[in-house]
Amino acid sequence: MRALISVSLLLSFVLTTALWSAELKVPPQVTAGNAFSISGAGSGQGTFYLIGPAESIKRQVDLANDIQIQSEEVEHVGRYTAITCGGDQCSSGHFYVHAAAPDRLGLIVHPSRVPVSNPNAISAVVFVFDDFHNLVLVPQSVKLTVTPTAGSSISESRNTQNGVTWVRLNSAPKGGPAKIEAAIGKASEIRVVQQVASDACNLQMKSSWMSGKLVIETNPVRDCTGNFVPDGTIVSFTKTDADGKTTVDVPLKKGIAKVEMPVSGQAHITVASGVVTGNELNVSGGR
Amino acid sequence: MIRPAWYVRKMTNTIHNPIRRFARITATTCLALCLASLPRVSADTSLPTVELNAEKMGPRQIEDLTSKSIPRDYAFAWLSMAQALDTNRKDLLGGYFTGLAKENLVQKIADQQKTGIHLKYEDHGHKLEGLFYSPAGDAMQLRDQAALEIQILDGDKVIQTEQVTLHFIVLMTPGADRWLVRDLETIPEGKP
Repeated sequence: MRALISVSLLLSFVLTTALWSAELKVPPQVTAGNAFSISGAGSGQGTFYLIGPAESIKRQVDLANDIQIQSEEVEHVGRYTAITCGGDQCSSGHFYVHAAAPDRLGLIVHPSRVPVSNPNAISAVVFVFDDFHNLVLVPQSVKLTVTPTAGSSISESRNTQNGVTWVRLNSAPKGGPAKIEAAIGKASEIRVVQQVASDACNLQMKSSWMSGKLVIETNPVRDCTGNFVPDGTIVSFTKTDADGKTTVDVPLKKGIAKVEMPVSGQAHITVASGVVTGNELNVSGGR
Repeated sequence: MIRPAWYVRKMTNTIHNPIRRFARITATTCLALCLASLPRVSADTSLPTVELNAEKMGPRQIEDLTSKSIPRDYAFAWLSMAQALDTNRKDLLGGYFTGLAKENLVQKIADQQKTGIHLKYEDHGHKLEGLFYSPAGDAMQLRDQAALEIQILDGDKVIQTEQVTLHFIVLMTPGADRWLVRDLETIPEGKP
């Protein structure tokens, strides 16, 4: 009795295994977007299934003939499962689709505005894709070119690793747009980084009297390499006199910050922009 | 904390009366046993385990908070993907997928709705290895080794079940309050 049970169990296991693990002959690797065929897996009518990263295909097929896989059915890289079922029996096989030739680039450049003369301030990351937007994992050589406002372009080739390569760049001493280009074959991508003046340097103000009021204005505000600090940058004037301490924040207009201040008695005035401080003035009220 | 007199009286009675105390302990134990014997929450709704190894990742050093967010958000991504593919609900993908990964899964679900095929994942855990973290912190590439049981069903009929260890290349990018899966590609073992 025990032997009979054992044989039955073994037989059912073998049958189940045969039912599920029958191997369908599929190519081990396929290039994305390439049509191919799977050898016939039996006889009579059956159902063919193809399960991929973005596909769930089902169709009736003649199992005696080769099954044609269309190019658009294997456009996405990844693991595919092909199954044919005829009657109660199914056969299956797996294959991987890998990326086609590089055809597109993804270029991420940060930041879009950067202060001048800043080491490693710009980062560029390049992703290499094929025509079907699949990441190309096989190492590729990407040409990176930086074209500053003034001066000649600088180029360098970088190899991708797992479909990605990156570079860090210093910003130029002169303000203006810098063009960063990544290229592979016929594909290229361009991003522009605006290089703007850095912090103010040698901040100077002067005062004058106009209709009994003290008018204070800065000289044109530039950074240490001579670039004009952008309009809108805040300059703070602080006055200390008999009435106490007063601070006025003024945005730069046409490179200059200007303010009118009432003064009583002796006054001490300072100027600052961000972390940069400028000269100091001592004035007397009414003069 | 001031308690009402009736409550103090009741508790005092319970503590000092051994029969009541025994009855109370027995009732609590029974309740605990009943709760424990309730059917477990389906595996479909439990988060898979995700381990992250970011030791070799660069050029940017991973932040403490990010090293916790990545495995958490990746686990949620897999949970939502498994539920979406099982129930054909594209709306479940929006929370943790974006870009190509989301487009591919939406396409797959649309196909499933047409053909009647659907997939069931039983997720036995993921081992993530950090490959690349961009200098600006806006993209992270990882390799995942996932232990899965995948069932392919045509309607209610199971046409294939397999236990597999799959390898993925994953690209994640930060969203407003979480990391999103932007690309998810299965790769042959040992590659790239």
